[in-house]
Amino acid sequence: MTKLAKKLIAVGLLGGLMITTFTGCSSSSSSDSKTVTIWAQGSDNTKMQLEAQAERFNEIQDEYEAKVEFIITGTGTQGVNERVLAAYKAGQTDTMYDLIEIDDGKISGLLAQDAEDLFLEIDKSQLSNHINCRYEPSDSAEYMVPYRGTTVLLAYNSNTVPNPPSTMDELYQWIKDNPGRFAYNPPNSGGAGASFVVATVYNQMEESALTSSDESNKQYWDAGFEILADLHPYMYQSSGKVVYPNKNQGTMDILASREIDMTPVWADMFISQQGLGTMPSEMKVTQIDPPLTGNLVGFSIPSIGSNSEGALAFINYMLSAEAQNIALESMAALPVIDFGLLDPEAIKSIETLDVKEFRNSSLGTLQTELYDKWDMDIAPLN
Amino acid sequence: MEKENKVLPYLMMLPSILLMSLVVIYPIIMGVITSFQQQESGGYGFENYRYFFENDYHTTGIWYTLKIVVITVVAAIAISYLLAIFLRFSNTPISRLMGKLYILPRFIPALVAVNGMITVIRDSGLINRISQVFGYNLHLNMMYDEKGIILMNLWFNIPFATMMISAALSAINDSEVEAMRDVSASKTMIFTNLILPLTYRDVFVAATFIFMSNISSFTTPYLMGATYPKMMGVTLFDLYNNFHYGRAAALSVIMFLFSSVAASIYIYINMRKDKWEVGR
Repeated sequence: MTKLAKKLIAVGLLGGLMITTFTGCSSSSSSDSKTVTIWAQGSDNTKMQLEAQAERFNEIQDEYEAKVEFIITGTGTQGVNERVLAAYKAGQTDTMYDLIEIDDGKISGLLAQDAEDLFLEIDKSQLSNHINCRYEPSDSAEYMVPYRGTTVLLAYNSNTVPNPPSTMDELYQWIKDNPGRFAYNPPNSGGAGASFVVATVYNQMEESALTSSDESNKQYWDAGFEILADLHPYMYQSSGKVVYPNKNQGTMDILASREIDMTPVWADMFISQQGLGTMPSEMKVTQIDPPLTGNLVGFSIPSIGSNSEGALAFINYMLSAEAQNIALESMAALPVIDFGLLDPEAIKSIETLDVKEFRNSSLGTLQTELYDKWDMDIAPLN
Repeated sequence: MEKENKVLPYLMMLPSILLMSLVVIYPIIMGVITSFQQQESGGYGFENYRYFFENDYHTTGIWYTLKIVVITVVAAIAISYLLAIFLRFSNTPISRLMGKLYILPRFIPALVAVNGMITVIRDSGLINRISQVFGYNLHLNMMYDEKGIILMNLWFNIPFATMMISAALSAINDSEVEAMRDVSASKTMIFTNLILPLTYRDVFVAATFIFMSNISSFTTPYLMGATYPKMMGVTLFDLYNNFHYGRAAALSVIMFLFSSVAASIYIYINMRKDKWEVGR
């Protein structure tokens, strides 16, 4: 019996040891006051950009050590926002989520998950470089500092479409005149298709609605959805059925393989892929009137992080002319500070893109409802 | 003889049981609880389940998933069975080469394989380009369609099923087959009276594994599937990303129940002993 008791104690100790090792991992690594862990998700170009920024940030100052944790989308893992929310809901208070990159449209949706104090309010007077920032998020501005803009453009094959449409109505007409040659991805699967849907629905409404999460705006959605339903039979087809390929990359792939002639794309993805040669050189981009929408991308500081000073220092760095130049050069990000402060050579790469007019959409919680409505109303059409 | 220690086996299992409870059993219980929780009111009820069965969009998706999975299971097992028998009883250079090659897909990462398949079968893919050389414009119509998903599922599952069935077949001695031939049994008789009884159990095991891994598949239908209907794995991803946690949990439970049916068949087949096996 004593032998058995000894064994029980040994196993009990082992179990206890395992548990302390597990919990030990998470707390010891986040208690280092110097490290600022920056979390982001998206495509590879964003990863390269942020890693370059962190490296430069670490070179120019000694107080903090920036580290980037990146999640490539579409690999089946959960996104950064959901992870932070989960950690918050689990009652964690001292995590490595010091700073996260986030779209301005996403914040109010997260806060609405019964998580009002998920993010720290950011005192912008503490950021010496913020004075140059030209954009403010229309929604939840106190929780986020934008550092780049991204916008959706219309990509087209210049061989088959010598004169691309210049207005949204011309685009609709072109789609009907050329059945099967246009595609957009389902709004839930990526922002390029989402922008086409948002622009179509909100072009039929007051412009101010585009930056509002007012529930009463939903009653005006029907006109836009009628247009989308009307366009449905003229979309790209495979196996005799209309298909909306998943992900931003899904439609870019069929444009590159010339299965379609036109599709909405993210400006930065298009430029990166043309640079890599995976997007043929005869493909061009243009903006139409009224423009396809874009997003402000910036940083928020989760309240459960462990280095808010370091996080603020990194945000401030990201608003410097140097960081804005790096973002512009590495991923053709639209700068948020005055173009006059930037490298005139680098500016040229986005001038040809015709993205001077930046149309920000920020629907808050309505965004999810709009995408769900598309899934229910448009996807099942035959 | 030393007395058998009755506690030791349980002690040795304790760490893995603890770990299982922590990372598998606890989340399952939490998932089931969440699935009955109403997001708006916070109360409990069947609302999240009703949502799936009262909504054509989702019932279509569930039937669509089951259809694809059943076709995958039947086709994968049929092809694998034939392949395994060929590999076991044929001894030619071709069968030896195939015996080495068939396992290859298991070493290729899923995402790479899916993208590779897409570039071959899509309407502007490799096969289409080859057909253009000969003056045709062949469209396979497999992308964004259930045909493509099934083809991809077969790629993943045939090697697995063949491996399992091959292992069962290797337990059959050549002498047993020869003995039947000596009494002039036909090939069909050898199959139904010798091979089938000795391997059907492994065939069912392979089938349940294929069923369970495909009912929750995500990457293949996400990249190759149509916009509508969606397989359950893709719907689950969408629901979760849009914060419909209660509904996501309910759909997980529904998938879990389908898998449990397969799992119970697995357990039943494994526990059951045929008459001739009693005492073996």
